[in-house]
Amino acid sequence: MAEIVAALMTSHAPLMTGRPEVSKPEQRDRLYGGFHELRRRLTAARPDLIVVFVNDHIQNFPYSNMPAFCVGLAEAYDAPSPGGGRFMRIPPRKVRGAPAWGMALLERGLAAGVDFAYSYEIEGWDELSVPLHFLTPEGNVPIAPVYTNCAAPPLPTPRRCHEVGAFVGEFIRSRPTRERVALLATGGISHWVGTPETGRINPEFDQRVLDHVVRADIDPLVRLTHDEIERDGGNGGQEIRNWIALLGAVPAWKGEVLAYEPVVEWITGCATVWVHP
Amino acid sequence: MIRTSYALNKLLTAVARQHVMKDGLTDDDLAGHDLSDAERAALRAGDITRLYHLGANPYLIRRVFRSRFRI
Repeated sequence: MAEIVAALMTSHAPLMTGRPEVSKPEQRDRLYGGFHELRRRLTAARPDLIVVFVNDHIQNFPYSNMPAFCVGLAEAYDAPSPGGGRFMRIPPRKVRGAPAWGMALLERGLAAGVDFAYSYEIEGWDELSVPLHFLTPEGNVPIAPVYTNCAAPPLPTPRRCHEVGAFVGEFIRSRPTRERVALLATGGISHWVGTPETGRINPEFDQRVLDHVVRADIDPLVRLTHDEIERDGGNGGQEIRNWIALLGAVPAWKGEVLAYEPVVEWITGCATVWVHP
Repeated sequence: MIRTSYALNKLLTAVARQHVMKDGLTDDDLAGHDLSDAERAALRAGDITRLYHLGANPYLIRRVFRSRFRI
């Protein structure tokens, strides 16, 4: 049977790699250290596939066609594209997808009432490219992204994200194959992007989220409303839906915070978290 | 109730896909788009706060009017 061999959660921001020099060296070192430790553990877990809970930033899904949840069926993902690579200052590359796996999830979901959308062509920005740059620089593990709308309200509720994540976890464990699957969620924690409060970070909210993650205390997270997250975590904080989905896939698993830094220069409350059975 | 202006977001998506940053949009940029007077004025002025309150998506505001942000 397939098994979940690793679960990890990180923030994403283009400036993490695009403008490292503007951050405070001690903050950057601690955060990069967290990524490096995640990479070490992920490599040791020897995954055959990384399922990524992630969100678009309106580069793929426009307002004319906005899925709440979308399974990636691409053969490969720009992570990043050549243009994105210049901006994020990381090498452009294609990361292999897992379309057959994605199609199986899609079919099972639609049969069971989890009405995923799907896409055969997706450009990864920082939400895929930056974490994968740190975690799998060799790019030799295929990815299966599951997109949640975190950027174009109205958004699916955290509770629904948790249910969809739980469905993905059950799907993985029910596979008759011997796949070793890693789960990665990217996004959050607090940040305000493009709003009148752009640049704000709320470490108190971030710590609250992390405390719940460490204790596997999921109820307060799934009860969060859109307005509460927007007020305390900003529009970027809405991306904790990806974390909540991952936690749904691994019930009772507990987070270990390897690093948390509110990096003002990257306008993001940045964290790296390993999740233990 | 979420305030969203489809007209604003459609236009901002189109401009963002050109990968050029703007201080303000021109009449050429706005041509053919069904916008309110308030939306046109905010787009011309590059008024990022006003655009937010008019229902433009903040990620799109940031991509198009990056130079208007202090950080």
